[in-house]
Amino acid sequence: MLTLKQVSFHYGKDGPEILRDVDLSFGRGEFVAVTGRNGSGKTTITRLLTGLEKPTAGQVLYDGQDVTQEDAAARSRFIGYVFQQPDRQMFMSTVWEEVGFGPYQQGKRGAELDAVVDEAMKRADVYRFADAYPRTLSRGDQQRIAIASALAMHTEYIVLDEPTSGQDGREKKRLSALMAQMKDAGITVILVTHDMDIVAGECTRVVVIADHRVAFDGVPEKLFSEGRPEAWGLACPASVRLGRSLPGAPYCKDMAAFCEMYRKAREGQ
Amino acid sequence: MTKLVPITKILLTAGTAVWALVLSRPEGLAVLMAAELLLLLAAGQLLKNAKAVVMLGVFAFFLGLIEYAGGGPVRECIVAALRMMDMTLLFIYLLGTTRLQDLTASMVQQMKIPYEYAFMFTAGLRFIPDFIEENRAVAEAQACRGLAMEGNFFKKVHRYMSIVRPLMLRSLSRSETMALSLELRGFGGGHRTFMDSVAPKGMDYVCFALIALVTAGVIYGRLALGL
Repeated sequence: MLTLKQVSFHYGKDGPEILRDVDLSFGRGEFVAVTGRNGSGKTTITRLLTGLEKPTAGQVLYDGQDVTQEDAAARSRFIGYVFQQPDRQMFMSTVWEEVGFGPYQQGKRGAELDAVVDEAMKRADVYRFADAYPRTLSRGDQQRIAIASALAMHTEYIVLDEPTSGQDGREKKRLSALMAQMKDAGITVILVTHDMDIVAGECTRVVVIADHRVAFDGVPEKLFSEGRPEAWGLACPASVRLGRSLPGAPYCKDMAAFCEMYRKAREGQ
Repeated sequence: MTKLVPITKILLTAGTAVWALVLSRPEGLAVLMAAELLLLLAAGQLLKNAKAVVMLGVFAFFLGLIEYAGGGPVRECIVAALRMMDMTLLFIYLLGTTRLQDLTASMVQQMKIPYEYAFMFTAGLRFIPDFIEENRAVAEAQACRGLAMEGNFFKKVHRYMSIVRPLMLRSLSRSETMALSLELRGFGGGHRTFMDSVAPKGMDYVCFALIALVTAGVIYGRLALGL
């Protein structure tokens, strides 16, 4: 369990307050979306979790142990971060070496290193790029290489910052499938996103940050059925809106669910 | 002091560099440094750029220390450190109080430097904060992969290579984008209206005269009085 306990944060000495008394926990194997308006503090939450920022008040706990003062390098033993611009971390001459950088830092060598790198690359579907130069690949492929880099470190939690922005539908689907696969493998996926289709269709939980606090924490269905997503600057997915127009206004988490409901409604007529 | 046109500030910065080179006694150089610090204070730049001033001080100290380690007499070491401070301090005033666009205009109009070169210089200056920000972002990305800047100096340098390489590659790609953006927005065109506002005014001419007088005075003092 990774926990923010009564965490407050502001940048600099007299900077504006970003977060106030935030209590938030992430359990194993969850697929959590962290969302909210631009500048609401959702990326700050993930930076606090990874140790890139230190809270001005409160604690960060990992399995009950206080890790507030640990830096990002120390916390990399349990949490990985895939940045919005993955090329920031790529510098090795082949994808294989790139993925191997993290486990090498952890002290893995020889056959053990080969095994973890090969396995991570296969899971992220980038094995065919093993000898390619990472920086010449597409952004979607770079995202998956960055994910493979985190998987190779046997991370328990992985933060993905807007991984689907600027990606086409095919790449979005591949990333969604990979995130779901990580969740099934027991890795906690923390997704910072504005993409409500993924939130509704894939995530098991959604956290909305607004007014320096956690404004909503629950399942996506509750957010889009009972919550007030528009008030927090979040758009309702098309499938959810379409579902409301069907008899009984069922909740349709994605277009496949809507089509199924639509077919049933037609058959029932 | 902040209202002077860029050419006056450039001349003042160049003038202090000349004075620092001509003066040879620690006392004179110390007075010059005090005057420069006062100027920075009056321009509201001293406290704002306190970190940069301290860094220059540290650099000057090490310069003196290196000279001392090389067998130089203490007095010469102090002179070298003070000279370094005197020659660089006013750059903070110049860059802190002048818009880069005005600096480019002044270099082209009054110093007759070709526009492309003047632009290259000021674009290079503008690149520094971007470079620092990029360095921070790359360092964070690598820290999340377990890269800790620990150990002795050589280990740190070796580890820093994994930050420098993506930093350089991203900077190159960024400069390419910038070049493209410049071309797409008509870089190299004819008349530039922003260049019309950097002509010297009354106070600037007074400063020109003062700079010339002090320069003559410093040279006379050095030759006749051994300052």
